[in-house]
Amino acid sequence: MSAAIGGLRHSRTASGVLILLAFYVVLLIAFSFATPFFMTLRNMLAISSNVAFIGLMAAAGTPLIIAGGLDLSVAAVAGLTGVLIAVLYGLGIPVWFAVLIAVLIAVGIGLLNGALATGLQLNPLIVTLATMSIVSGAALILTGGLTKQLGIAGFNWIGAGRVFGVPVPAVLMLAAYILLAITLRGTRFGRYVYAIGGSEETSRLVGLPVKPVQVSLYVISSVSGAIAGTMLAAMLGAAAPNAASPHLLTVIAAIILGGTSLQGGRGSVWGTLVAVLILGTLNNGLTLLDVSSFWQDVTRGVVLLLAVGVDQVRQRLQNR
Amino acid sequence: MRGIAKRFGGVAVLDSVDFSVQPGEVVALLGSNGAGKSTLMKILTGVYQRDGGSVAIDGREATMATPREAAAHGISFLPQEISVVPEMTVAENICLGAIPKRRGLVDDAAMRARAEKILTQLGFSHISPRAFAADLSVAERRIVEIARALAADASILVMDEPTASLTEQEAEMIFRIIRRLREQQTSVVYISHYLKEVFAIADRIEVLRDGRNAGSFLPSETTVATVVEAMLGTVAGDMFAARMTRTRGETILTAKNLGLRTSLADVSLSVARGEILGVFGLVGSGVELLGRVIYGAEGTRHRGTMMFAGQPYAPRHPADGKRAGIGFVSAERKKDGIIADLTLRENLVAPFQRRYGTGLFTSHRRETSRAVAMIKSLGIRTRGPEQEMRTLSGGNQQKVCLARWLDPSVKMLILEEPTRGVDVGARREIYGQLVALARDGLAILVLSSDVEEIAGLCDRMLVIDRGSIAAEFPAGTDAGTLMHATTTGAAA
Repeated sequence: MSAAIGGLRHSRTASGVLILLAFYVVLLIAFSFATPFFMTLRNMLAISSNVAFIGLMAAAGTPLIIAGGLDLSVAAVAGLTGVLIAVLYGLGIPVWFAVLIAVLIAVGIGLLNGALATGLQLNPLIVTLATMSIVSGAALILTGGLTKQLGIAGFNWIGAGRVFGVPVPAVLMLAAYILLAITLRGTRFGRYVYAIGGSEETSRLVGLPVKPVQVSLYVISSVSGAIAGTMLAAMLGAAAPNAASPHLLTVIAAIILGGTSLQGGRGSVWGTLVAVLILGTLNNGLTLLDVSSFWQDVTRGVVLLLAVGVDQVRQRLQNR
Repeated sequence: MRGIAKRFGGVAVLDSVDFSVQPGEVVALLGSNGAGKSTLMKILTGVYQRDGGSVAIDGREATMATPREAAAHGISFLPQEISVVPEMTVAENICLGAIPKRRGLVDDAAMRARAEKILTQLGFSHISPRAFAADLSVAERRIVEIARALAADASILVMDEPTASLTEQEAEMIFRIIRRLREQQTSVVYISHYLKEVFAIADRIEVLRDGRNAGSFLPSETTVATVVEAMLGTVAGDMFAARMTRTRGETILTAKNLGLRTSLADVSLSVARGEILGVFGLVGSGVELLGRVIYGAEGTRHRGTMMFAGQPYAPRHPADGKRAGIGFVSAERKKDGIIADLTLRENLVAPFQRRYGTGLFTSHRRETSRAVAMIKSLGIRTRGPEQEMRTLSGGNQQKVCLARWLDPSVKMLILEEPTRGVDVGARREIYGQLVALARDGLAILVLSSDVEEIAGLCDRMLVIDRGSIAAEFPAGTDAGTLMHATTTGAAA
């Protein structure tokens, strides 16, 4: 069962995650020495809450990339979701019903991405780049580019509430990781994901449901965007059309940093989770150290290159 | 090369192997898959580093830390998969390693002249340096690749299965080149599974077995049987299992007037339970498409009608073929046969995962017991069910591709090139397995461009030529007759 929850397929993937984990611990220790404000329960919970919506999108994006797909529209869907909730709520629709409608629209966007990428065999990079543009444009049109206030007591709990002291977004994110790890490792669907990513042609020839699996992964990614957008709007108490867009690159970076191969076939959600924590902690620690956000972008890029480079060298050494 | 040793993990892949080539000598390197041929050649060409032993070139000790360093010593490796850039011209492909420049820009004229000179030297001046590689035949691409090695001043050419996927006539062109290279004092190391070729072209045969030298032979002074014995370590019997008298059961597949674009026209055939029907055709004859059409892999693009197990059968995709009860083993093992990143166990249960799981979940335990049983019954040589598929040898990969269809729901097996790139030992085991399956009542359709295979294995043989069935023969027809039927198109 430990292997089932582990979701780590091969020793190579597992050792990759361990190296990331070691790097994370080093980071934690370094920041603890650098600033007294870092290693406090308060700050740790703040990090978990801040990374949750990124972590959620990265979690759902991981199986998609393992299966050879890619979704660039996910952060735009998050932005649109917040805006839709605000607009629908403004029209007098109950807030949870508004959330449901927004999620259904996300399902539609996922189906569209999936149909174009798998049915018409278009490059997922181009397809989701286009839908990203359409979706974020739609969000701007709906609000005229403005931020909408969203102060609803019950609703804001999703973003700012606590369960046994743990922020609700962090709980939701962790639940998503556990669910996806079990799905990837323990279910037939998960096996199909790795098989399709490993060789789409072989999967087709042994009669696996290649297209249905791929389309559902696009839908899952899109829906994760909707849930992340809901959390973000609830956390901020406001819906901005571009609230999540700047974080798209962090989402993709986390998946790659976590050891998922862009060629498909390899990866694990636990790697993604550790990578999300590393990137979030880096952000938080540097902010506490009063490093400007411009430098944080540079740092994030360097860490990504470093991690990918180290991983490549390690794999070459193992292959010798 | 003296006393070469190489270990992967704890396994000794090469153990004190000696190997040498004289200038202008053609040496064939033989051995079953996993014998260490490719490892030895990868050490020679700088891809791997040796753990022991020494390499000397022209009597001087040489290090070969990278492929580039090996190339500087004049050693060039031509892998089994042809690596020309289709979007580039012949001249560009040939000069890829050292593109002539003038004032920093590519000197097209010099490049073409150089390419032309080398092609003429090889005796293929009809290949235009201006032509795009994409427009060349497979054999011509292979020639361009050899020309590239010569352009880089190679004095030792290592060729891995250079005639795989070539027709006999095309292979003859490669032999002509090799003979010319020999005259020009270029050395050739020739790796092949085709013993007939090896005897025709090699000056010396070196056999490896289990990472050790297993004999050195002169083709003029030995026989195929002796060499096979050295490769297998046992006395080689007949390649094909003794032909059992099998009862031909009821017809399971009837196909009428199958056609696909211009590649297949009006192919009709039927396959019965308990028989092995062979379809022999050269590459490009339609032999590589027929099985895919029947299985559903070509979608609904084809013409014609089919009946399977008494029902009208019109597959739209492979899942339909599988559902009807057909299994399919692809010729392109690396491309669409295996999933290299997954384990042996996962590859083995791929088509029928539902059978080895519970509800939505997979069962590691049941998959493992299935894998262990199949490893045993097919004699798959592996470290265990969890070995990554990419690290298995070709023959063992092929056994997994076959084993995954051994399911009660499968009534007919379609196999394309069932033993391409498979060593002699595994080949014999696969043939034995197929004969046993037919005896148990499975219908088997084998499509192959290996004429010996069709002639030796099948109960009934069809010859396909230019997209249509040219002739049908009964069991026991010899390979020469089959070959004759394709080249003349005349029925016997």
